[in-house]
Amino acid sequence: MKSYKWMTFLLLIALMLGACAGAAPTEDTTGAPDEPAGPFRVAVVMPSAINDLAFSQSMYDALLTVQERMGGEEKMEIVFSESMFVVDDAAAAIRDYASQGFDLVIAHGSQYGSSLQEIAPDFPETAFAWGTTLDTFEDQGITNVFAYEAASDQGGFVNGVLAATLSESGVIGVVGPIETGDAKLYVDGFVAGAQSVNPDIDVNVNWIGSFSDVALSAEAANTHISAGADVLTGTAQMVVGAVGVAEEAGALWFGTQADQSSLAPDIVVANQVYRWEVVLEDVIELVQSGTYGAKSYRINLANGGEEIVFNPGFDLPEDVKTLAEDTIAGIIDGSIVVGGSAAEAQTLPSFEETFRVAVVMPSAINDLAFSQSMYDALVTIQERMGGEEKMEIVFSESMFVVDDAAAAIRDYAASGYDLVIAHGSQYGSSLQEIAPDFPETSFAWGTTVDTFTDQGITNVFAYEAASDEGGYVNGVMAATLSESGVIGVVGPIETGDAKLYVDGFVAGVSSVDPRIDVNVNWIGSFSDVALAAEAANTHLSAGADVLTGTAQMVVGAIGAAEENGALWFGTQSDQSSLAPDIVVANQVYRWEVVLEEILTLISEGKYGGQAFVIDLANGGEEVAFNPGFDLPADVQALAEETIQGIIDGSITIDLGG
Amino acid sequence: MITELVSSTVLIGILASGIRLATPYLYAAIGETFGQRSGVLNLGVEGQMLLGAFAAFYLVFMTGNLVLGLLAALAVGALMGLAMAFVTVNLKAEQGISGIGFYLFGLGMSDLLFQRMLGTVETVSGFSKVNIPFLSDIPVIGEILFRQNLLVYGAFALVPIAWFVLNKTTLGLKIRAVGENPEAADSLGVSVAKVRYFTIILGGMLSGIAGASLSIGLLNVFQQNMTSGLGFIAVALVYFGGWRPWGVLGGALLFSMVNSLQLWIQVLGIPIPSDIAVMMPYVLTILALVVTVSRVRGPSALTKPFGREE
Amino acid sequence: MQDRLNSLIDLLLPVFATLAALLVGAVMLLFLKVNPITAYSALWEGAFGSTNALAETLVKATPLLLVGVGICIAFRAGVINIGGEGQMVIGAILGTLIGLNLEGWPGWIVIFLALLGGFVGGAIWGGIPGLLKAYFNVNEILSTIMMNAIAVQMMNFLLRGPMIDPSQAELASKIPQTARLLEAFRLPRLVPTRLHLGAAIAVVLAILVYILLWRTTLGYRIRAVGQSPQAARYAGISVKRHIVLALLFSGAFAGLAGATQVFGVNYRMITDGSATGFTGSAGFNGIVAALFGQLHPIGTIPASILFGALLVGANKMQRVVQVPSALIIALNGLVVVFVVSSEIWRERRQRDRLRAAAIEGEADASGPSPAVDPEVGI
Repeated sequence: MKSYKWMTFLLLIALMLGACAGAAPTEDTTGAPDEPAGPFRVAVVMPSAINDLAFSQSMYDALLTVQERMGGEEKMEIVFSESMFVVDDAAAAIRDYASQGFDLVIAHGSQYGSSLQEIAPDFPETAFAWGTTLDTFEDQGITNVFAYEAASDQGGFVNGVLAATLSESGVIGVVGPIETGDAKLYVDGFVAGAQSVNPDIDVNVNWIGSFSDVALSAEAANTHISAGADVLTGTAQMVVGAVGVAEEAGALWFGTQADQSSLAPDIVVANQVYRWEVVLEDVIELVQSGTYGAKSYRINLANGGEEIVFNPGFDLPEDVKTLAEDTIAGIIDGSIVVGGSAAEAQTLPSFEETFRVAVVMPSAINDLAFSQSMYDALVTIQERMGGEEKMEIVFSESMFVVDDAAAAIRDYAASGYDLVIAHGSQYGSSLQEIAPDFPETSFAWGTTVDTFTDQGITNVFAYEAASDEGGYVNGVMAATLSESGVIGVVGPIETGDAKLYVDGFVAGVSSVDPRIDVNVNWIGSFSDVALAAEAANTHLSAGADVLTGTAQMVVGAIGAAEENGALWFGTQSDQSSLAPDIVVANQVYRWEVVLEEILTLISEGKYGGQAFVIDLANGGEEVAFNPGFDLPADVQALAEETIQGIIDGSITIDLGG
Repeated sequence: MITELVSSTVLIGILASGIRLATPYLYAAIGETFGQRSGVLNLGVEGQMLLGAFAAFYLVFMTGNLVLGLLAALAVGALMGLAMAFVTVNLKAEQGISGIGFYLFGLGMSDLLFQRMLGTVETVSGFSKVNIPFLSDIPVIGEILFRQNLLVYGAFALVPIAWFVLNKTTLGLKIRAVGENPEAADSLGVSVAKVRYFTIILGGMLSGIAGASLSIGLLNVFQQNMTSGLGFIAVALVYFGGWRPWGVLGGALLFSMVNSLQLWIQVLGIPIPSDIAVMMPYVLTILALVVTVSRVRGPSALTKPFGREE
Repeated sequence: MQDRLNSLIDLLLPVFATLAALLVGAVMLLFLKVNPITAYSALWEGAFGSTNALAETLVKATPLLLVGVGICIAFRAGVINIGGEGQMVIGAILGTLIGLNLEGWPGWIVIFLALLGGFVGGAIWGGIPGLLKAYFNVNEILSTIMMNAIAVQMMNFLLRGPMIDPSQAELASKIPQTARLLEAFRLPRLVPTRLHLGAAIAVVLAILVYILLWRTTLGYRIRAVGQSPQAARYAGISVKRHIVLALLFSGAFAGLAGATQVFGVNYRMITDGSATGFTGSAGFNGIVAALFGQLHPIGTIPASILFGALLVGANKMQRVVQVPSALIIALNGLVVVFVVSSEIWRERRQRDRLRAAAIEGEADASGPSPAVDPEVGI
């Protein structure tokens, strides 16, 4: 497989050299942009068929609309390559269109990005557009690529609100391709919308792992219906199978990407439809005036790029329709925030140049624990600031050697990064050395509250998590759910953030029932997955039916818990995906809260000297319930009361133990 | 609280988890025993385990087929063994150092593949527990020994097989001869190179399975550096066992049992600092050897490359 | 003249092998869609590109050299010491204890005592496996692996308990670290970078160990034990005592490496739960450096710098082209395998030369013995 790719790569290079030699002169003659006589020529390359009633069709329909508005085929020529699921083939197509002198070549699939990155520089007189993404490659000196994406969570939210209102069984099924990109965004929005109406509603999501397997998507829909779902939704082109099943079973359907009402006029309620026209018209205008790229677009409900199309054939109750329209209006005016906490409403400062952030972390960025919590927060902030052109993120992961981390921190500072984050308490002493040498660079260090101001250092921020708070909430739930009266804890070494979490957890448990046994096992390592698993097994043999643990090696313990049907409480990152049946809730760190503050201070010219503690009250810590776990309503209510109590100060956590 | 240690739940718990913990050590250490008996010290076991663990996990993740997972671990282990054999037999490279090189390669490569091909921590359904009929119902013993997954049984079955091969077959005789006196073996027509290739590749395959026993047997996850030093302990256990499979079994069980004992000590709340508890298996393994002062002699040609004088 | 050319080629062999390994790495980089030329120029830049880069390389090379020098002694006596990690940790702990408890003493006395403490700490941690091997027949590979783990847990216990930074003890986060060393107690810097006196100390010690091994009776006996324990025994040399001594010295240099890391680089001890976080695997990499230096203390000097450069440069490369750090580890593994495999050509060339020169006195007085010949498990 790999060698095949490798050979294709070589071949491509050969082709490229050939094409460059041949293409340059052709371009000069046909590609002249300011010849008003000829039509505006657009080529589009798409991963599925133009009539897929989904992603590809949404673009093709938009092109036709624009063509009509411009005055028909004489004014605008459209050619397309559909079903280009082989990326190499798509690359060949894109290159070919560009060398034929098309004015605009659209690569309609995020998988085409790396090919486009190769091709675009060879055709500086051709404009390219790429979606769905916000990356125009401008940071790599490429100026002829536009980027576009859809805030599909917004329409998803509206669909979710409607679905929850219409569902009688309280069970909703979702069929998706792969949990990423546009599809994930839509589903996340949908789930959030459904839960905003009814937090107890069951939204079961099925990712079938394919964009094309219609049979499997039908089977997934069948599964949902057997599980009691009476409302379904789904995204990507293979959902046509699911729509058929829904129709047969008389379940309701919500569509996205394109208008799917025609597929099953009796059961489709509404569709989120993408109106790429909004993007295309602006792009074409820019191209005609000589700008070939370096601009990104995000369609949403507010700018008209997304629209909720109700199926005229479906008899939607008037009050539900009003609710939907209120929701849409709420999203547009910002009173309803989709995707993430209310903190989103806080405006981020804007910097004239790309804000450059470097982060040094002790473990891998995907450790589902400490390092990932920071990396995820950075990516969220980046997205909110407007993508890579607004904020650059570089990282050094697995920097467990303190000395290497120090070298990395110094190097980043010397390379002119605006903010260098030393994400590990062990990096403190090194930072103390480095920070004074770079007074114009801002540093952030965690987890601690020591900013070294007492030593005259003014450019270090500090951050820490009050992990005992989430630990306490987890502990309260654990004590309530435990039937055996024995709870097990797996930790790395008895210190720092881990100890704080465990102490809070123990306090939470004993606040409910002081007779419960909480056994704590410190395994002496952050990496020994096998020993973590065996520690969990030991707890289970000792009678524990609820477990928790902290740091990245606990993935082993989660597996052991799952095998034995014990419940699990996570911390640092959301670990629900690892064992959807047994993870009850997670304390999740939202370092965004800290990063927002730091960015604001930096924009005001302050480089350090302030310490931040994230906790439940300031939204930096959040207890994320696993939607897949059927938590009894009274326990959830108790948890929410506890959170409220910690926030308003009526509960104080006693870490005496 | 100390008395709690002798309750039946605790004893069964210690023994059962000792058996599980011993599994990866057994595969890797038995493989290493073959290598060392033929005169090759392989310190790269950890790297082979990690690559084996990843290969098995990835195939099971993609196909759900456990057999394919095992085959992948065997194949990857064999490849790593082949490379190690070429370097140490043909190029006569210093064995300890090449082992460290292969360890680093496996450590990095498995992580790189993990990041590129999976991206995040995922789970699979691996080998599930198989209760052996009748035997699993025996009180105490059944619970300890006969309610484990297939790979656990395999590890223990490997011990008598390895003993038999090493001591009762001509192949075993050749392996030992090559490890003791390669010149003599060579003059008797035994191909030193062939025998060493065989044992190193076999060792690699068993290390691959050792990794798989974690990623698709006991843990059902893959994470970077998930073995975290296990492979090195396995090498140490070969010395503990005096290069004999039964001795390796004893060492693996001792180390694992003490490890599960220290987990229990913490669970029962016996007031020993956790770090001191974690130290116990390492200290006791050394002490056990000191107390039983053995006079076992290692293979004479261990770490010595062999080449005929031209 | 011919001799000099020959030894130059011998010396450059590891460099060629490294380049070959990097060539394989280039293919891997291409798979990751990274331009190898950009990547490797970043590597070069990071290792030698500026005064600071060069200093970082030397800082990295210092513990490698100290550990490596100790490894030379152990290997020459026929014992394998893979306990460098633990020995570094114990040396660092003892050194730090001295540094933290002698407030008010003159700086250079404290530095001297602390480094001596590191030396002694490492000697104890290396001496124990020596005693176990000599008198209880406990294989040193086994005991050093186990002792590494024990040292790490001791460090964790001490740093989060008795030795914790008093200012951390009151905070909720309780970072497991000691207090910071007073400024007067730090190893002086050589140039305005992180390069500290420890680097110079390491070079001096490497030369001293060369003298020890080849110019003293003790050294002769250690080598004799390594070459053939039987012959040494007939010659009336106590094999057991020299094995203990060799491991003791080997550990002592690792312990010193640990202490110099604290007094020259970090100024305090801190743990992330593993040894690597503090040692940077120098306890292992030092073995590799010693082998690259053909188990000769002087040869270990350039070998440590080469290996240190590779480690420092590779990290820079990771930052510049943002490849996963895992690639760097894999690449280091390849370099080790390639370099150790290249030995065969050096040995072949040496054998040819020996054949050419009919007379041969004491082969290894001027150069290292042709094959690494450690007797494992007497």
